[in-house]
Amino acid sequence: MDLHYTEADRDFRARAREWLKANVPQTRRPAHGQAGAQFDRDWQRKLHDHGWAGVAWPQEYGGLGLSGLRQVIWYEELARAHAPHHINTTYVALMHAGPTLIARGTPEQKAFHLPRILSGESLWCQGFSEPNAGSDLASIKTRGRIEGDHIVVNGAKMWTTDAQYGDYQELLIRTDPASERHKGLTWVICDMKTPGIDIKPIRTMLQDDHVSMVFYDEVRIPLANVVGEVGKGWSTALATLSFERGLGFIGDQLELYERVNRAIDLAGKTRLEDGRLAIGDDGIAQRLAAIKADCIAIRAMTLADIAETDRTGEPGPKGSMMKLMVTTTHKALSEVVGEILGWSFLEFDGDRIAYPWTYDYLWSWVFSISGGTNEIQREITADRVLGLPKAR
Amino acid sequence: MYLAPDGHEVEIAEAAAAFVAQALPIARLHTPGSADLGQAARQRFAEMGWFALAVPESGGGSGLSAVEHALFFREAGRQCGPVDLLAQCLAANLTGDADIVSGARGVALLVADGEAWRLLGAADSALALLVTPDEALLYPLADATTTSRPALDPANSLAVVSALPDPVERLAGDHIWQLGELGTAAMLLGVAEAALDLIVDYAKIRETFGRKIGSWQAVRHPCADVAVRIEAARAQLWYAAAATKEGRADAATHLDVAKHLANSAALAATDTTIQLHGGIGVTEEHDAHLLLKHALVLSRLFGAKRALLGRVLHAGLED
Repeated sequence: MDLHYTEADRDFRARAREWLKANVPQTRRPAHGQAGAQFDRDWQRKLHDHGWAGVAWPQEYGGLGLSGLRQVIWYEELARAHAPHHINTTYVALMHAGPTLIARGTPEQKAFHLPRILSGESLWCQGFSEPNAGSDLASIKTRGRIEGDHIVVNGAKMWTTDAQYGDYQELLIRTDPASERHKGLTWVICDMKTPGIDIKPIRTMLQDDHVSMVFYDEVRIPLANVVGEVGKGWSTALATLSFERGLGFIGDQLELYERVNRAIDLAGKTRLEDGRLAIGDDGIAQRLAAIKADCIAIRAMTLADIAETDRTGEPGPKGSMMKLMVTTTHKALSEVVGEILGWSFLEFDGDRIAYPWTYDYLWSWVFSISGGTNEIQREITADRVLGLPKAR
Repeated sequence: MYLAPDGHEVEIAEAAAAFVAQALPIARLHTPGSADLGQAARQRFAEMGWFALAVPESGGGSGLSAVEHALFFREAGRQCGPVDLLAQCLAANLTGDADIVSGARGVALLVADGEAWRLLGAADSALALLVTPDEALLYPLADATTTSRPALDPANSLAVVSALPDPVERLAGDHIWQLGELGTAAMLLGVAEAALDLIVDYAKIRETFGRKIGSWQAVRHPCADVAVRIEAARAQLWYAAAATKEGRADAATHLDVAKHLANSAALAATDTTIQLHGGIGVTEEHDAHLLLKHALVLSRLFGAKRALLGRVLHAGLED
């Protein structure tokens, strides 16, 4: 048990802090539309051009090939520098499409896609969930018919984040019509410019359209775009989900500590309806301190997890517990800030930068539902960590 | 950077688990009059050197660190180890006195309670230890005015002390407080883990409506929520133990956070284990209530919620 950072770790932190201080964009990210996506691409391009893209990606694929611990340091410094939020339109490409291709892609797929992901040239979206397959992902019905050297796709996907801006999609389809459940699925790279794709944005309670339904009508995808094997897509999908549930929220985990400190500062200068400073209210002060304690423990959990993964080379089964801890703490923080801000918490126009606390409050449900609902995370914890008898 | 027991730490934890389970099994608490460490058990622990793990070798101890100290008290917590086990260990660290390290003189724990003090441990202990974040004081108990009180927690005797003589030993600084806060946080983690183990084991065999109760989501999900709170408390305990061992400037804050997380994990786990056991969970013969009652005592020692959170609110941390 030790908390030692090597000389190289400390040097990496100092260089990251210095570079971010000088290079974090001073302009506000446009809240919506292609302008927002372009802002994300530009920031990723800048990271790439200055040698900060893909901190934990292997060097042979253009990353820095650094340890999980350096990745923790990097995300801590991003949060400290108020850098653009890492969950933006580059998220799917960097946090799961890229890692999935590194783990399961062909040499040609890696050579084409990975450099474009790291440089911000390609944005990706996910096509897993369907109108009748969310938590129960294995019941997907979107079909893929193999014709010569193509797969012809028909069906519909649901909750696809940033489908309007995605250049490519991680698409999970049923290629064996006689198959059921986890069998007969295929994971394929879908070029979003292919004819036959129709995107219908879904307006959310956040007053945005960050998720969409995507319809496929005779969409022809080359067989060369299959990642893994035809009919073995469930295995590739599990790899994708393990990246999402493993390190996918590392930025949120570490950013929470910065955010709770900002909330405490806010409580120190915001007056309640009765004129008292919010921090002078015992109830608010105690809740903020309890949330801060949880945020500090989340950082310890992250470091414990990362150190274990650095040693064993494989993420453990604790990602689901982490997501439960982070999403519940995120929600508790948003709720107490809502009390601190009083009426101004109820001013909102959908802009995440202009109204960050209200946006985060609304987003807390997206956080606890997307990427596996908290109920599914409890099921995974009960099965894999506690070894309880199966519910299903 | 590594935040779990490793190398010789694993061996010490395993040895502690085996020894405490044999010397002080939780089952003892179903027999009346089993409160406190008692002379015989105290000497067995002393012979194995458990009181002096973190005492320097020059002072007759093992010269180990806060990490081994935490590993030992986590195992003690799993068996509802009495509070005077910790008091004896802290007094050994405070004085290095051979009669304390050897268990010849017993030490109880004093806690300020308004104008008086509470005493946890045998009323006939030779000494009583009072610890604050600023100093540690050791009092002779022979001349103190004590009144025995009935104790909710069968693991510890409880008394009110209305007058104390002058201390025989006084040490300024937070060294003993840190070992006490870490020790109680570790015991609470052990309590929480034992409580979760009880319900998880039971859920694998108990059936309702023709199914194991562990297959019902009404049981699975609260267990998963407790597992999350324990996972967070455990990671923070290891962080705080390592920060204390390494003398980091933010160790006190990490200890406060670890104690708060351990308090809430133990109270949540013991609540959940009793509720999900159903009727058997409220019976005297079951261990669940022993863990709850012990958690209530430990959560008031070395930092209860209000004091801990008051300090955490504006505390800063190192990288």
